[in-house]
Amino acid sequence: MRKLRFSRSQLCIPYAAFLILFVIAPLFVIVYYAFTNGQGQFTFSNFLNFFASTNTLGTLLYSFALAAVTTLVCLAIAYPTAYILARSGLKKKYVLLMLFVLPMWINFTLRITALKEILSLIEGNISAYPFLNSVIGMTYDFLPFMILPLYTSLLKLDNSLLEAAADLGADKFTVFLRVTLPLSVPGIISGMTMVLLPSMTNYVVLDMLYNSTYIMGSLIGSYFSAYDWNNGSLISLVLLVIILIVTLVTNRFSDKDAGARGAVL
Amino acid sequence: MKKFLSVFVSVLFACALPLTLAGCSESAETVVLRVCSWEEYIDLGDWDEGEIIDLESGDIFGKNSMVDDFTEWFNSKYDFKVKVEYSTFGTNEDLYNRLSLGDEYDLVCPSDYMIMKLLAEEKIQKYSPRFFEENDENHYDNFVSPYIKNMFENYGWDEYAACYMWGTTGLVYNPEKIENTADVSTWKILSDENYKRQVTIKDNVRDAYFATLGIINGEELKAGVGDGRRSELLNDTDNATIAKAEDVLKQIKENVYSFETDAGKSDMVTGKVLANYQWSGDAVYIMDEAESDDSETELWYSVPDECTNLWFDGWVMLKDGIGGNEQKQTAAEAFVNFLSRPDNAVRNMYYIGYTSAIAGDMVYDYMEWNYGAEEEAEETLEYDLSYFFGGERILTADAADFGRDGEKINRGRQLFAQYPPQNVIDRSVVMLDFGDKLGEINQMWINVRCLDLKDISPAVIGITAAVIGVIVIAVLLYAFRYKLFINYKPKKGYEKSDK
Repeated sequence: MRKLRFSRSQLCIPYAAFLILFVIAPLFVIVYYAFTNGQGQFTFSNFLNFFASTNTLGTLLYSFALAAVTTLVCLAIAYPTAYILARSGLKKKYVLLMLFVLPMWINFTLRITALKEILSLIEGNISAYPFLNSVIGMTYDFLPFMILPLYTSLLKLDNSLLEAAADLGADKFTVFLRVTLPLSVPGIISGMTMVLLPSMTNYVVLDMLYNSTYIMGSLIGSYFSAYDWNNGSLISLVLLVIILIVTLVTNRFSDKDAGARGAVL
Repeated sequence: MKKFLSVFVSVLFACALPLTLAGCSESAETVVLRVCSWEEYIDLGDWDEGEIIDLESGDIFGKNSMVDDFTEWFNSKYDFKVKVEYSTFGTNEDLYNRLSLGDEYDLVCPSDYMIMKLLAEEKIQKYSPRFFEENDENHYDNFVSPYIKNMFENYGWDEYAACYMWGTTGLVYNPEKIENTADVSTWKILSDENYKRQVTIKDNVRDAYFATLGIINGEELKAGVGDGRRSELLNDTDNATIAKAEDVLKQIKENVYSFETDAGKSDMVTGKVLANYQWSGDAVYIMDEAESDDSETELWYSVPDECTNLWFDGWVMLKDGIGGNEQKQTAAEAFVNFLSRPDNAVRNMYYIGYTSAIAGDMVYDYMEWNYGAEEEAEETLEYDLSYFFGGERILTADAADFGRDGEKINRGRQLFAQYPPQNVIDRSVVMLDFGDKLGEINQMWINVRCLDLKDISPAVIGITAAVIGVIVIAVLLYAFRYKLFINYKPKKGYEKSDK
């Protein structure tokens, strides 16, 4: 009995099939719906609706503001945490890291429900601070996604570079500013993308914490529940384009060569 | 290779053979009935020993789930077997979307307006004449309330849908915190500044729109109008009305504690809010919960003076699912019939808190068993349920469980929520499908819920735009810093380091 042999291109077939079926085909469906009306005729009206309405633009702005604040808060919490975890000589740092990742193993609706009770205790009536609560909820939800990339990029950091900088007369602060920080830029960027983009659409957190203002995700859901696939698809498409732009811009930064060069120079 | 293939293929066949055989033998006798209903809308059994309902007409106890009991009953009674695939949906829209995406069900349980929509699209299979024949086995036809039957006939649904549960909409409230009953006698409480962030509203456009129309037309409705006019006012989808509703809903949005789909129940029980826009069945559930909670809070249900939304959920068979299969239709009709047997109706009512469309002696016994006045009651009240049960049915209940404005009973506890008195029925309206106007009304809802750029002060927009602009410029400058500022030309004799 001879061995089964597959060429490389044959081995690609399952993956290609998967991609076509679950990535490419749905994209085409979204594009089709986005540029047709209910009767299946080609139209730009969904597109115009989106950009002519102050409501949808307001929602875009609100989602972006919420996501941006969440990302900054996450970064402010995650950077020192990751730095301590990665650079300090703590013996049990894996245990600590585990503690930060542990919440991810629990279903997030459960966590947000618990958070709601805690916030109710602290704030009294949580409906009075919808924006603040949403930021807290999102931060709670997405913090591990920020810590992990930062942790890995700080862990990889070459100690000899830090020693060299110190040898050449840089004090601790300068070493951090001129060597550690630039070298961790790829981690910062990937953490930011992983938090910014999902928090623009994660409306379950807002629903559960009683923020009655829509963000992009809830807007799409609202169109779908009125059987309006067309406007909903268009908004998904707009989000997709935003993601594409963000990824293109950030790709420049995650270019490790540039980061490393900046530090070494 | 050939050998490998032949082994492989024969193994495949060996595996598949029993499957196909089993498939054949099953399809010959067993019909698969695909039922889709609301979440937590049927008795799942497994009751505690103490939960037994000992009526004079017999004990009722949920040991197994209703679906299992049906399967057992059916298989022992008919000459073919049935297997029920029971699944659930969260909203009517969710169900409709699933149907339009190609999911097939034989029997579904949507609400009134969705039945109308499906009926208009000719997706519903008529019940067979057998189902309505007069004999002891046809429980639905024998026991359905005359009131419900009449209602379904009026709307022309009677041959297409069998009512399962029904109820009203109103406000659950805490009578200790809200002493002025006038406040909970109007939908205006939703936009009342005195209750800022202390009431909740349902997070769906239909319920919100209904209450809003109640507020807008409050004076006319309270003055008393005919049934026709009331229905007209509360099914008004005129563009001018939609615009008015948008303004009111914006006030409501600023005023309420939350738009909730499910969380309102627990917020009410834990006392986070004082009043809660609720469907009558969930109101019963909340009142039961609050009583058995450690705090033993007594909550009440009130139907506002303006109007209440009378709603029905009914079993309908879908043409796409049944596909002309006689056996399937028999099984589907038997399922509805089984649920309509009074003891099963009581089981479901007990389990989910909603009110069954089934009347009959046993259900009335259950009401008396549950809500009849205790001997130590100081004052009793004759609670008239004749309209629902037919004949003369007047239950002697504890007067302390009801709130009266003159002769009219407008508030009360579980019994009031489950079976509203005639004066509440008199101000009830069935809310029809929005039809073509759905798009406009949904857009209105989106306008309410979205942040409008026009509402933000220009200063905030300016500052935000400036901040974003600065960030973008900084990022771009940083990204292109080598091209713009740092001159990178290597000295003669050196090569670029990254080559």
